[in-house]
Formats: sequence, C-alpha cells, structure tokens
Amino acid sequence: MFDASLNEHQRTLDRLQLAALGALMLIGCAFIYSATMVNNVPSLPWYSQSWFRQIVWYTLGIAAAIAVCLVDYRRVARWSLALYWLSILPLIAVLIPHIGTTHGWGAMRWIDLGYFQFQPSEFAKLTFILALAHFLSCPQDELRHAPNFLKALGLLLLPFLLILREPDLGSALVLLPTGLMMLYVAGVPKRFLLQLVGGVGVLGALFLVGVLFAPPNWQIFKMQDYQRRRLLVYFDQEYAPPGAPKAERERLRKQQFDDSHNVRQALISVGSGGLMGKGWRQGTQNALGYLPRAVAHNDFIFSVIAEEKGFVGSVTVLMLYGAVLFTGIRIASQARDRLGRLLAVGVVTLLFSHVFINIGMNIRIMPVTGVPLPLLSYGGSSVLGSLIAMGLLQNVYIYRKAY
Amino acid sequence: MLIFDQLKKGDPHLRTLTLVILTGLAVLLAGLWWVQIVSARDYQESLETQSFRTVRIPAVRGRILDRNGNVLAENRPAYNISLYLEELDRPFKNAYSNEVWEVRAELKQQSAQMEAKLGRKLNKQERKQLALTTAQKALLREKARYEVVSNVVLQVSRRLDRPLTVDPTDFERHYETRLALPYPVLRDLDATNIARFEEQSTSPLGVDLEVQSTRVYPHQTLAAHLLGSLRRDDSSAEGEEAFFSFRLPDFRGAFGIEYAFDKALRGMAGAKSVEVNNMGYRTTENVWSPAEPGSDVVLTLDLAIQQAAERALQSTPVTYTGPVRGAVVVMDVWTGDILALASSPAFNPNDALLPHLPPAELERRENEVLRPIFNRATQGSYFPGSVFKLVVGLAALDAGLDPNETFVVAPNPEMPSRGAIWVGPAHHKIRDLAPPGEYNFTRALYKSSNSYFITNGLRIGPERIVRMAQRFHLGEKIGLFTRQESSGFLPSLSRLSSGWSEGNTANLSIGQDPVMVTPLQVAVLTSAIANGGKVLWPRLVAQVEPEQASADQDPERFPPGRVRDQLGVSQRILSIVHQAMLADTEAPDGTGVGAARECPGLRICGKTGTAQIQNENNVKTGQTTWFASFAPYEKPRWAVVVMVEDGISGPSCSFVAGKIYRAILDSQRNSPRKNDTMANARLTQ
Repeated sequence: MFDASLNEHQRTLDRLQLAALGALMLIGCAFIYSATMVNNVPSLPWYSQSWFRQIVWYTLGIAAAIAVCLVDYRRVARWSLALYWLSILPLIAVLIPHIGTTHGWGAMRWIDLGYFQFQPSEFAKLTFILALAHFLSCPQDELRHAPNFLKALGLLLLPFLLILREPDLGSALVLLPTGLMMLYVAGVPKRFLLQLVGGVGVLGALFLVGVLFAPPNWQIFKMQDYQRRRLLVYFDQEYAPPGAPKAERERLRKQQFDDSHNVRQALISVGSGGLMGKGWRQGTQNALGYLPRAVAHNDFIFSVIAEEKGFVGSVTVLMLYGAVLFTGIRIASQARDRLGRLLAVGVVTLLFSHVFINIGMNIRIMPVTGVPLPLLSYGGSSVLGSLIAMGLLQNVYIYRKAY
Repeated sequence: MLIFDQLKKGDPHLRTLTLVILTGLAVLLAGLWWVQIVSARDYQESLETQSFRTVRIPAVRGRILDRNGNVLAENRPAYNISLYLEELDRPFKNAYSNEVWEVRAELKQQSAQMEAKLGRKLNKQERKQLALTTAQKALLREKARYEVVSNVVLQVSRRLDRPLTVDPTDFERHYETRLALPYPVLRDLDATNIARFEEQSTSPLGVDLEVQSTRVYPHQTLAAHLLGSLRRDDSSAEGEEAFFSFRLPDFRGAFGIEYAFDKALRGMAGAKSVEVNNMGYRTTENVWSPAEPGSDVVLTLDLAIQQAAERALQSTPVTYTGPVRGAVVVMDVWTGDILALASSPAFNPNDALLPHLPPAELERRENEVLRPIFNRATQGSYFPGSVFKLVVGLAALDAGLDPNETFVVAPNPEMPSRGAIWVGPAHHKIRDLAPPGEYNFTRALYKSSNSYFITNGLRIGPERIVRMAQRFHLGEKIGLFTRQESSGFLPSLSRLSSGWSEGNTANLSIGQDPVMVTPLQVAVLTSAIANGGKVLWPRLVAQVEPEQASADQDPERFPPGRVRDQLGVSQRILSIVHQAMLADTEAPDGTGVGAARECPGLRICGKTGTAQIQNENNVKTGQTTWFASFAPYEKPRWAVVVMVEDGISGPSCSFVAGKIYRAILDSQRNSPRKNDTMANARLTQ
C-alpha cells in the first residue's frame, strides 16, 4: 500500500482480491463437482455437467469483468439510468406468463433462453447500485433536500417491489441493506435515514406479527403460503392455529416436519462435518440424497463444503469472503470520487448481504430464502452478476486516486 | 492490516461499514463454531440415526452329534429368491409417473366435460376438486410399486416354470417397515429350481439368490423327543446388542436338547449396519460384528442303537390300532450314558421350520391319546407294576427274607389255574397271574407272583419298601433341563403313618397305585441292580465342542459314571436278584423268555410288568406293560427298559428288548473297535 503511493508505478489491479476470488472460484468448481457427481456413472456428457457449465460461466464472467474494467466507471455511470430502466424491463417481463418461467419452483424468476435460464433480478441488483451511486454522487448538499431523498428511495423501491412480486423475497431483501448503506455513506442526513430505518423496522415488525400470530384471514400482507411456512419454520412456530382439531394438528405437524427437511438436513450436514470434515466427495448427506440434490449444488453448496471440509473449510470460505469484502472497502477508501466510493460500498454491501443470508440459512440463523452464495453456488446469472460486480470494484481501483 | 487500516482511518462512514461486516462475519463464525465444534457430536448422531439401520444376523447353530460323531441335527444353506428393492427405485418412479399421467389425462377430460356443461372456465375451487390429493398419490405409488414387483416376479415365475404370486399387503408391509432389507419372493428353493434360476446368466432386475442357514434333522423323526424342537424367535439373547432396526429370522430351542443347550448351540448373533438413502433404500452394508457360530453338542446316544430301539418299539404288538405308544431307554450300566431314548409316536422336528404345519399334522399333535410331542421316556409317569417287585424283593431280602423259603400260593376259587391272595381286615381278594403252588424267591420273581410279594411286603411293612425305593431316587426328578421331565410318585414316609391300610401296602408291593415311575427312572433302577448297587446320574450329553474355527477353548465335558447314591445292599442279595432275573428269560416258563429268544447267545436278566390302570370306579381302563432288563448276566453292560402303553403284556415287551440287544450286539460286532475307541476317546479325554 505504501509502495503504491510512493512508487511511480502504480499497481493496476487489487491482487489480494483477485487471489481470493480465484480461490473461491476453484472451491466452487470443486464442490459443485462433489455435489453433483454423486453417482459414479454420470448420466450427462461431461460438457453438460454442472461443474463444467460453472467453469463456462466463470470464463464468461471473467470476460465480462475484464470488459467492464476496460471502460472508466465514470463513463459507465453516465449510462446508468438507461441500464437501470433496461434491467427493469425484464423484471416486468418475467411476471408475464409465457415469458417468465417458474423453473418448476412456483415463482416467476427466470426467463428461458434455451441453453440458459436468465434470472433478471441478478442484473437488476447491479444496475440498481450503478444508478443509485450515480444519483447519490451529486454534491452532498443536494442530498439534504427531501425530494432528492425520495427520488433515491424510488430508485430502490421500484426493483424491490418488482422482485418481491415474482416472488423472490431473498433477492428483494438484499437490496434494502445495500441501498441503506449507500445512502448512509453518501451522507444523507441522519434524520432521513432514521426515519427510513424506523419505517422499515415498523413495517417488518408488523409483517412478522401478521405472519406469525394473526389468524389466517386477518393477514394484512399477502404472502405465498410457502413463504409463510418458511418463516414459521424459521421461528419454530407451529403451523396449526391454536384450537385446531387434533387430526389437523397432526397433519400440519407432519407437513412442518417435511418443510423443515432442508433446514434440518443442512444443519446435519454442517454439524456432522465437525472440525476436519469427511473429505472431498466423502459427504453422505448429499450422496444419500438427504440434502436434496436439487439444491445441494446451488443454495446449499455451503452445507456440502462444511460437511466435507469441516470447520476448517467453512472458516477458509469465510476468510476468503472477508478478504474480498475488506479489499472492497479499501478500494472504496481509495476511490477518486464519490461515485467510485459509492459504487464500491454498494458492491461490498450486496456481496456481504448474500454471504450472510446464505451461510446464515445453512446454520439456521437466517430463514430459508433462495439467495445464492456468490461465486460458489451453481448458477449462470449469479456468477455473471457477481463477477461483473467484482469487475466494477476493480474498475474503481484502476481509476483510483493518484496520490 | 487490511481491517485495522479501515478502522484507523478517519473515515467514519467506511469505519461503520467495516464494523458491520466484521460483526456479521463474527456472527457467522460463532454460529459455525457452535454447529460444527460444540454440537458436532449431536449432528453426527442424528446423521447416523437417519442414515443407518442395524440388522441382527443370527449365528449358525451348532450341530448335535451322537457319541460316534454321527450328525443328528445340522444346518444346510437355504436359497431364497429375493428382491433388492433399491434397484427397483427407478422402475417404481417410472411406473408411478405413467399412473399419474393416465389419471391426470382422465381428470383433464372430466374438467373439459364439466367446462362444456357449465359453459365457463372452472373456478379455483372446482379445479382443486379435480386435482390429485396426496392420499391419492400415495395410493398410486403403492399401485405402481406392486405392478413393478409383480412383473418382476412374473419373470422369475416363467424362468422357474412355476406359478408365483406376491401378496400385495405382505409386500406393502415389507416396503413400509423393512425397506432396507431384500424382499423374499420364494423361500428355500430346491436344487432343480436353483439350477433353473441360475442357468440364464442375467437375472431380472433387482432379483438375486440369497442364502440363509436352516436347521435340518437328517434322520427326520429319529430321537426327535430328545433333540427337541425350535421355535421362531428373533429377539436378542442375554449379552447381545439389544437394539436393532431389523432382525433376520432366527430360532430358539423350545424343548429337548435344543432348549437345554440353546445357549451353547445358538452362538453369538452378529450385527451389520445398512446405510440407507433419503428414500430408505439400501446403499451399502457393513458387518461390524460377525456372528460367532454355536458349539456342537455331542450326545451319549448311539445312532445305530437308537435306530434299532425305535424300530423294535414300532414292531411291538399292541391292543389297539394306530401307532405304538411307548418308550425305550437303553443305558450303559457303568457310565449312566443313555445310548437310546425312544418315545413313540414321534414328530418330525423339521416341521418347526415350516411356515405352517399341515392341518393333518396339527390335528395329530393335538390328539389327546397320541400326544406325539410328549416324551414318554422321561415325561410319562406310569405304574411300574411287577417291575417294582425288584424293589420290594431287595427290601425283603435286605430285611432277612430267606430266598429259599417255600411259599404256597392259594388257588383262586373262580379260576383254579391261577392264584389269589386275600388282604386286610375285609379280606379283599387280589388275583395272581401265577398259578397256585410252591414258590421260592426266584420262582416268585420270574413267575411274578403277586401273592408272594404282597405277603412279604406286608411282612416287612411299607416303610422298608419306600426307603428302598428312595435309594433309587424314585419319585424325584433327575434334572434333565430339557423341559420334559416328570418326577413320578412315591408316597412319603409321613404318608405311611396316617390313613395307610394293608390294602395300600399290598398295592405298593406289586407296583400299583400310588407308586409311579418314568421309563428313565426304571433304567436307572435296573442299572443300579446290574452294576452292584450304584445309582447313577444318567448322562445325555458327553460334551459341548466349540466350533472348529474358534477351537482355542477346550470342549466342556460332562463326566461319565457320576454316582448319585449307593443302594447299600450286599452283593449276595444282588446276585440272588440277578439269578432270579436271569431265570425270567431262561426258565422255560419265565415271563421274559421273549428276550432270550430274540437274542440267542446273550444271557439277559429281566423283569416283566403289567400294571392295571383303573378309573375311580375300579373298572380297568388300560394297562402299562414293561420289561426292565440288563445284559450280559456275567458282566453287565447295558440296561434296556421297554414300556408300552396298553401293550398286550409284559412278556410281549421282552421281545422288543431282545431285538434291541441283538442290534447292540450287531453294532458291537460290526465295528467293535470303532465304537469302543471312539466312545472311549470321547469319554475319557
């Protein structure tokens, strides 16, 4: 760091961050392999298997990140509003039947592009950061005006509500801390922020009370049944309303047991890994199908890593994310302008939210929401989105302050 | 460092962000530490409970051998055709999706019809009514499974060229409760079917042969009562792992040697763990404690003598149609070894392995008269009749009776060719089968004169008779542990002092009510007379030999010739009895001539008996016929006791004994060395 400021020659890329990202991608590839190649006789040709497809996505993502780095982020930011609206369009499109596909999961989150199911919310997160950073990079005085604050809030709420409508509670929720943190770092007056946080808090509390305690027909917030049940599972609340007949109570108990299956199995996977784990490809939870195959390599990839590599493996993953996050903050502190700083803060917060929600879900300190673990979970949109975001960070670093 | 740089810098906003992220990561770290380090053991346990099933593997049961190493009970492999359900997982799923597709198509048609009828789209409620419920889906799954399984079984049935069916409820029960184990389709294939099944190289999907060990008694009903029988019992024995998810079929001894030596024969059951996947299908198996085979039990029985004894018993003439009801005991008079222990009618112990007894056999087993399970040699209590005169005679001689003293039997007025005696104050007449005339001890014994023994019994008093009988341990159990023993009956001394009449003494003197004995007790009694006064513990089991593979421990041996009691009667008296018993088979008018006639060349000492069985109105309902004997007279070796329920007479039993002696001599002659050396080697080791 001192070298960088003292030497004539400035390093053009944050190498520590790149190393951490590379390590994460290797781990991702290895454990997607472990999670999907449970039968010794693969049913698909090698080029159609998840681990290889993930490598393809990594390659495409790295290419996209390099492309992002080639242009100064300030020039990219000029297009931010256009990009923002461009990404809002598929968010609307995905809600239209025949365009959006449920992927068999009951939520319209994907647009089928043949080889690839495109998940527009992954990109909307990025264009949102870009647009908000661009908007907030105006002189700080302007942010004292309430209308500007409301406009910024509008930028947040539009994708938030659209994604919530899919419904994809997890992806929508990560926008909130990201937006809040960007507003805070941009220097929006404290009272606005407190009001916002208070409002969100009250709404959230009302929402939870409604879900957990209100009788079924009193619910203020319309929620999909499965979402409500997931929350009930998380808070360990009985499905059956008090005074339900015995048979009904039994049925709901059984259903609750089934619904909490993933969480329970994820916990057993993580916990049974112990200190050192069972070894790569030696985990039984995934191989025997207790950890459902459909989610083991994406939303629950962390369970596979934790089972096979133990506490040591989990902490390694955590440290790698830590390295990416803290180098990200360093980049923010070195950014040449408010735009770069806000961009970096937005990307870091977004990444952190993903990591926290996903790992938290694997060890039951967060409810189950379909939030991927950046770079480790299988999935093209997520990998592309994450790598482009990393490209943005490096971009801010490349065009940082010249001391 | 990276983190502290951020905290130190004067940038409050980024410092806050750093703190937030640091806190978040710390929370995750703490959570992981809690789950993976602190509670790791709990989660490992839940992992095991959900993905492992333990299975109890019964041990191979030990064999039962005769004294020469001939096999009386062993094990053979039984081949079952079994379905490995985990291999049928995919066909189950395919069949299910076909079923669902069909039902869905039908439902679609129904909804189309309804829409046409109503002229509008169906609302949500109506659509829901036409959708498949969870219960319906479960039923379809069950149906699909059964279809797949019955198809596979049909293929097996074609290959074996015999019809096979699968019971849907039975299969479903197996699927629900024992999914991790293979489902048996056909048990215990014979050699032809094994060959048919194996001749095509590929089996139908999921079908394979499975081997289990099954008990087999190669000589069928031979010595069935002594060997005993098994009953199905999968439970854990003492000292075994008690908790299993599943148990493979196992058996326990129900009675007989199988019961008495069950612990040694059974061995130690092993255990394996089966790893199952989330559907409950088996994935891998791991035997973590192999079963230890049971020990062999070597009996004192001699197969050839046992066979001869059973054959001879079968050939006894009886007063009824149907199988002979009787028993034979052959005992070595010096060692107490039981060389043969036969009871008729018998049962086939192999039947216990059948899933169900045939109805005819079930009926036969419950027949009150036949009682084929009942071991008449050790469990049956009978009046000894004249055989008891041996005890009375010994008591009288011991009390000073002069064997040469002449006694005159008075004729029976109603039947002048036979004698009679009048007993007690009421002068109750007791008939005598012996003719009237002069008798000494020898003649009285071999002609079995009631008058002589009643007179002498009354002379010495009942106490001396009971005391003598007590020395033979009549009325007491031997303690066979085979669950097949009766103690017989002998009136106690205190019983004699109150309400005991001369009539009672007269009855006791000729072995009638109330004294009762088992054939085995009579064999012990005869042996004691033969060997010079040693009352022996009969020996059924020579030793228990651990299975060869684990022969580091010595066999458990049971010593021969254990003396239970001494008669305390002088040799002079015993030789008087010997001579009298010899006369029974050799005097031309002896009652036991049949024995000598069947086995010429062997001098046999014997005593016949015919005990009357009366109902409460003193009407005769039957008789128990006996022949108690030992041979050779010069140097006694074997005691043979024959008892037949409702036989023609005591003398007819003597023929049976004669045949048995002949067989004993034959087996001695055919392999004298082998028998002796083998037996001696086993017995003296």
